[in-house]
Amino acid sequence: MSEQRSHVGSPVLRRDLFAKVTGSAKYTVDITPSGTLHAKVVRSSHAHARITRINREQALRTPGVVAVVIAEDLKDLFSRFGHIVPDHCILATGKVRYYGEPVALVVAETLFAAEDGAAAVEVEYEDLVALMNPAEALAQDAPLIHEEFYRAATDESFAAMAAAPTPEEEAGERDNVAHTVEIGWGDVDAAFADAHLVVEDGPVHYPMLYAYAMEPYNAVADFHDGQLSVVSTAQHPFMVRTDLARIFDLPLSRVRVEAPYLGGGYGSKSYTKVEPLAAVGSWATGRPVKLVLDVEEAIYTTRADSADVTVRSAFDADGTIIAREFDLVLDSGAYADNSPLVLAKAVNRCFGPYRVPNVRARGRSVYTNTSPASSYRGFGAPQGALAGELNLERAARELGLDSFEIRRRNLVRPGEEILPGKRGIDADLLADLEMLSDSLNSHASADSAIGIGFTASDAGAFPVSTAQVRLQVDGSVLVLSGSTEMGQGSESALAQIAAHELGVPLESVSIAQSDTIGPYERTTGASRTTTLAGLALQRACTDAKQKVAEMAAEVFGVPATDIESIEGGVRVGDKSPVGFGEVISRWFGAAAGEVTGVGLLRRDGVTKKMPPFWEVGVVGVDLAIDPDTGVIRVQQLATVADVGFAINPRAVEGQDLGAATQGLGGALFEELVYDGPQLTNPNIVEYRVPRMQDLPERIDTMIAARGDGVGPYGAKGAGEGTLNPIAAAVAGAVAKATGKWPTRVPLTPERVWRLMNDLPEDGD
Amino acid sequence: MSEQELGRTVTTTVNGTEVSRYVLNRSTLAQFLRDDLGLTGTKLSCELQVCGVCSVLVDRSPVSACTYLAVDVDGRQVETVEGLAQGDSLHPLQQAFVEEFALQCGFCTSGFLMMSVALLRKNPDPSEEQIKEYLDGNICRCTGYAPIVEAVQLAASRMREEGNV
Amino acid sequence: MLGSFTVSRPTELEDALRLIGEDSLAYWGGTELFLAMKMQLLVPDNLVDLKAIRQLSDVRRTDSELVIGAGVTHEQIAEDKTVRESAGLLSSVTARVGNSRVRAQGTIGGNLCFAEPRSDLATALLALDASVDFRSATGQRSLTIPEFMLGPYWTAREPEELLVAVRIPLPAPAGVYLKFQFTERPSVAVAAVESGADQPVRVAIGAVSEIPILVTADDWSGIDAAAIAAGIEPVPDLTGSVSYKRHLVEVLVNKAVAAVQAGVRDV
Repeated sequence: MSEQRSHVGSPVLRRDLFAKVTGSAKYTVDITPSGTLHAKVVRSSHAHARITRINREQALRTPGVVAVVIAEDLKDLFSRFGHIVPDHCILATGKVRYYGEPVALVVAETLFAAEDGAAAVEVEYEDLVALMNPAEALAQDAPLIHEEFYRAATDESFAAMAAAPTPEEEAGERDNVAHTVEIGWGDVDAAFADAHLVVEDGPVHYPMLYAYAMEPYNAVADFHDGQLSVVSTAQHPFMVRTDLARIFDLPLSRVRVEAPYLGGGYGSKSYTKVEPLAAVGSWATGRPVKLVLDVEEAIYTTRADSADVTVRSAFDADGTIIAREFDLVLDSGAYADNSPLVLAKAVNRCFGPYRVPNVRARGRSVYTNTSPASSYRGFGAPQGALAGELNLERAARELGLDSFEIRRRNLVRPGEEILPGKRGIDADLLADLEMLSDSLNSHASADSAIGIGFTASDAGAFPVSTAQVRLQVDGSVLVLSGSTEMGQGSESALAQIAAHELGVPLESVSIAQSDTIGPYERTTGASRTTTLAGLALQRACTDAKQKVAEMAAEVFGVPATDIESIEGGVRVGDKSPVGFGEVISRWFGAAAGEVTGVGLLRRDGVTKKMPPFWEVGVVGVDLAIDPDTGVIRVQQLATVADVGFAINPRAVEGQDLGAATQGLGGALFEELVYDGPQLTNPNIVEYRVPRMQDLPERIDTMIAARGDGVGPYGAKGAGEGTLNPIAAAVAGAVAKATGKWPTRVPLTPERVWRLMNDLPEDGD
Repeated sequence: MSEQELGRTVTTTVNGTEVSRYVLNRSTLAQFLRDDLGLTGTKLSCELQVCGVCSVLVDRSPVSACTYLAVDVDGRQVETVEGLAQGDSLHPLQQAFVEEFALQCGFCTSGFLMMSVALLRKNPDPSEEQIKEYLDGNICRCTGYAPIVEAVQLAASRMREEGNV
Repeated sequence: MLGSFTVSRPTELEDALRLIGEDSLAYWGGTELFLAMKMQLLVPDNLVDLKAIRQLSDVRRTDSELVIGAGVTHEQIAEDKTVRESAGLLSSVTARVGNSRVRAQGTIGGNLCFAEPRSDLATALLALDASVDFRSATGQRSLTIPEFMLGPYWTAREPEELLVAVRIPLPAPAGVYLKFQFTERPSVAVAAVESGADQPVRVAIGAVSEIPILVTADDWSGIDAAAIAAGIEPVPDLTGSVSYKRHLVEVLVNKAVAAVQAGVRDV
């Protein structure tokens, strides 16, 4: 059995891929219970307006339409959601706050009828002043987007994120700032006064992005007999359950949320999205209701926070950073969603994985009349890193250092703190830097412009995780986990860990995931599954083995000390091995029964110190620019995954190339653009994502495995870090190639051409 | 317009099996496959024939099922991802996609597979450039594409060896 | 989502001609039509499926012209031996239209009738001096590309007319087609062709302004890229401003002319 030890650390084929290539894998959108009604959302055609009248008579007369639900029908419910700030109306109430906001829900026997009914709903509006960007929203005389102040959720890990009302706010002096975060240490002003060099940048603009998970948000809900069952595209089904229970005033135990395979997540399916709409549709009709958004509707459901970041850094003559100061303004859209947390992370991550003795960073998340912003892969880190890393590049040039050398002088060493009082860095960034340098420089050509970027993210989120392992009488193993399989490979990684811990063949392990009737998992995000769900699973396996050992002692009538846990079972004294199944069968006295091991993880022990781990981003690009057109060709992409231990190296490389490619999208092509109240490009024709022909010419995805994480076998999370510094690396390379400093991404051909030719950034 | 004229009964062969169904003229091929026949392996995403997720073959030619009328498959042969494997034995492209980690979430995969089938029937030995050109109209948001190119190359070489194109 | 409509499936051209009109639209691959219908830009009562009319999918060559039926797909044109031998530029253009599914389903007739201002074919056919043939229940006529293309999504075709074929005079001029493309459709396209020593050179510039324009000169020295760029009225969009697109026109005209002069063909 010893070869089973290789289940972890080897590129085993991912089990979910087999079902996915045959078309048999079920996604939420593939699930339609019999008797299901179909819903279509009527959406606001105004950015900021009072709703003066809704006429649903014509819609209700449309053949096949069963119900038209509007806000006033929800009076007896808690008709809002939001895990941090419950500010998000299920259906616009009194007024609309962005173009695309749900105003009514038409429920019908067929999708065609729902669509025809939705077209027949008449809504009349009275326009209010629309605030389409933070500058407008922060203006002195700007009207309020949210007149009410919503009390923060009570959950301890979010409480600090949610803005407590200040005395002024309590007294009614309000503005459109949704949330403010300030951190700092040292004597920043003194450091700047003493500096050899001060370098300023900004505001540097990070664009409004759309994750484009290819399966748009959808859900099917069934409310009956005081119970609610929902299947949805939710990364965090347990979080969605909490919102739904509050809406209908149900105990958590009477709400079930399942998330089958997700057609992409990338953070965009974190927290509650369309589930309340489907649920109120079912509540109103007493039948299952399915709601599937199209891509345009999905863009108007959640996008990523855009940011304007100003940075100032002070240096000694030898290039040592002595102080950094940041100001971040995030455009968080019409509702808070997860933006308060994105802001907090952006502030924590903006100054980089450097030794910075004096820091002052202030971030504001601003309500605007635009699509609500929330989590997207990287989670605040890319926004701050663009300005911060570009600023470091500029300092390097002024100090006469190269991109690698200035970082060599400032990167934190293993164990050193980035955030005072928090976990020291569990990565060797200097060693990673040398890997990156070797890879890029050994393949550089005459027209190479090399840019690099480093980030460190306080990752893993709040460590609450549970897992169950059910050993079956035939020796097979069923693992239950609340972690969602959204493409990242958790199903396969968890199976590898269980097979390894129990010493059983990989094929004998089955995984059931992401169903709130199974064990609790707080979230599937912040790159946490391998580390935190993995630790919980290890503990569940230990618990199961312990229980089997106790049963074996009883069955064989020997003291527990004579039972040795071995791979796949136990050894009783010096006798032959006995498999788990046989112990179970003998104990129950039949070919029946099972043993359940439970693993619990909380903020204690190895995961006491926050964050549970640091996820670093170490990337470099080598660009060539067409002098005629400004088109950027990516000649090299190099990444280092400092993951501690790769449970499945191919899967880690896949995550990194995927993250880097998404990052290149934001650096080179992607940007949602508002023109007036609505987006000009809410579709995949004009929102330009990376294509196959954009593939970098040389790709080097390196793995650094030094066993320095708290997770199983020294592992740490992966999957986001590589996205974070890509835009900064691209912008740095463009600065080298053009001699000009970009102030925004994406660096589209025209923007690069304008830089090269000293033309204003925007022009006709 | 009478109710009758807004739809018709189509008879078509889907993955080798003849089926007859009444469909509305306004039904797309994607709706017909997914909702009427329960063949949910074909997915929908952009619905503007740009992402390639809904790619299927009609009379061996690739179409975006999101913008193709269901009534237009009357009398034609439709191939979807569900028809690729022979029993438990995966099609060489499916096998190669698994081996090369050419998918993660898998939502785009049936589209990539069907387009790759069409490509290899036309050109059993495509260059890397030809693969990229032919599959450029399919979006994958997870993998960064490189493993997909590798998978198509691997499958193509195995299929040539087996004379199975 | 599509609205409700009826569908006619004639097998004879004459039947199709009796059916089409203002609210009864012809279609083949539907790659343009169904997008417009999904966006409610077109709301026809009836559709006329032309796929069963065989004569629309012919490619014929005579001594003086190449005639391509309206129902020939981009892919068929790209792979057609007759087209490659007689109008090689068109082969290379159609091999790069849209994506592989659009090439497989979309037809030359549909592409032209939709008059999408960024159409590759309109630009290339303008350079090739092509004309288009129409039939209706009451008559027939032929128009040159400039007579036919009147503006974005706007042509000289009457609702009851059907574009039945595209004619390219032979010997067709030869040259190159270059485009700058950042999203699904080109932002600027340039076709530069020549026929022989005593024939004028032709440069068509498309995708950038409302309709493609043609510039001719006695020889290549008469093509002034900067002047052409200055005279273009680009439509700005997310892929480029007016000044950037003018710049691209100048760059592409210069590159295309240099390539043709260097003997590059059918690229």
